[in-house]
Amino acid sequence: MAGRNACIVGGGMCKWGVREASYIDMVQEAAKECLGDIPGLKPTSIDGLLFASTFVGRRSAQANTAPVVAERLGLKPTSICARVDVLCAGGSTGILLAKGLVESGMSDIVMVAGCEKLYTPERWQVQYDEIAAIDHDWDGPQGIGPPPLWFAMIAKEHMKHYGTKREQLGMVSVINYDYGYENPKGHFQRKLTMEDVLNATEIAAPLGLYDCCPLTDGSAVAIIASEEKARELSDRPLVYIRGGAQLSVHSISANWPGEHLGDWPHLRMAAKKAYENAKISPNEVDVAQVHDCFSISEIVEVEELGFCKKGEGGPFVDSGQTKLGGATPTNTDGGLLSCGHPFGATGIRQGIEILKQLQGRAIHQVDKAAIGLTHNLSGSNVEHTIVIYGREPGK
Amino acid sequence: MAKAWIPFLEGRYSPTLDVWPIEAKEFNRIHEFYENLREGKFTTTKCKKCGRVAYPPRVICPECYSDDLEWIELPTKGKAAVVVEKWGGVPICYKPPLIDAWIDLGEDSPVRHILSRMVNCPTETLKEGDEVQLAVFDVPAHPIELKRETKIAERVFFAFEPVKK
Repeated sequence: MAGRNACIVGGGMCKWGVREASYIDMVQEAAKECLGDIPGLKPTSIDGLLFASTFVGRRSAQANTAPVVAERLGLKPTSICARVDVLCAGGSTGILLAKGLVESGMSDIVMVAGCEKLYTPERWQVQYDEIAAIDHDWDGPQGIGPPPLWFAMIAKEHMKHYGTKREQLGMVSVINYDYGYENPKGHFQRKLTMEDVLNATEIAAPLGLYDCCPLTDGSAVAIIASEEKARELSDRPLVYIRGGAQLSVHSISANWPGEHLGDWPHLRMAAKKAYENAKISPNEVDVAQVHDCFSISEIVEVEELGFCKKGEGGPFVDSGQTKLGGATPTNTDGGLLSCGHPFGATGIRQGIEILKQLQGRAIHQVDKAAIGLTHNLSGSNVEHTIVIYGREPGK
Repeated sequence: MAKAWIPFLEGRYSPTLDVWPIEAKEFNRIHEFYENLREGKFTTTKCKKCGRVAYPPRVICPECYSDDLEWIELPTKGKAAVVVEKWGGVPICYKPPLIDAWIDLGEDSPVRHILSRMVNCPTETLKEGDEVQLAVFDVPAHPIELKRETKIAERVFFAFEPVKK
């Protein structure tokens, strides 16, 4: 339907961490929080459900999950009821798909829910299952299923080509844990010193424990609706989904598209497309939630997203540009490093933080935030997903 | 006290929990890659129509979609461009440290880099720039149920190892 705009109206999360709960328990907790954020919205008024989860079929043994989620949440979808699997970007993908469904006129009110129950009764499977998240037959037997090895290589390459310092990686963790300290729903509520980061257990040099996001159980749920329905549902300022992009140019590591591992042209291409269709430039982004699965990833991302020049991500973070008052406050709710990373839920958590920032109700509020961006990479850095939100529509 | 496993699954093979590919010809049209590995050859497919070399090997050309492909050999020696050792969070299929390298197969190779686990490689000995070579080894077999019998499918896989100086 020409001219329709999609808005994010409300959202909620369950407590994230190592949870004594099943995936479907956590989705219910998050959905309750979400509908609590939109008083007056009844489950039966929601006409679409997109459920983002990668491992629910493997670690919870439930295939074709969306009807189960819909039933437990009391939904009776009439426009769409489907599961989305894009690993780390499942939630953001759900939001982009919901935008398309709403703008086309097929849906009016879509619930985008994401959840992962990553901890299995026997702990060996927690790491072992990661082998299924990459190009299984080729990269899987080479050991990079659990991603620290791959991102340690990226860190080494970035240090070699751009002179990035170990302490600059550490500063990402210090800042993001600082943001996450006051987020009651995140995995951790603690502060880190640089000494904590540098003296932590080595995972894969140069990355230590606090350079890596934890494995986390959790769920997040958001409501995406047409502008008309959004006005009916909430008195808060409207937050539009202005644009976005999702880009995939390779799967196996051997087909890496960059000149070296610290060069991420696929993210540059995704950012270019997202900025074009949202009709903004990188310097208009007031607040960003980027995919800090590792400290090094945030450093590369602020470069490739255009917040600073290529190779200057380390000094950008080190000089406080991602803090409140900096050029682009980033991961203001704690990011993946402090909140954790239940894959399918992460992009929704990021969207909820941007919603709150643009409505002026975030814990770490960016003054007069009008444009917000979320970014996810997926798997062994094979796909990039960007969503751009604004106080004004993009059209 | 109840048994802490599921009796009817004991000894059963499930691909879901297998780290290695199902390589057998009954399940995989690029099984020749693994047969070539047994002869010490590291191979992939090249399109006879447009000349595109694709890795990993496949059954159609990703450029022109022709299915007229041939097998070609890739270099079995290269240089370690980046080396990483992982001690924490190593999956149970490997003993820590898990050592991996980003390997440069050289300017003349149609596949410039590959990521590989390093075997026969003592910790902290492999340096950037060191020469490495293909290593092929047996990995666990699995059953395949045929019409009247169950066949055991032997398997190999590959990694790289340091070239002895």
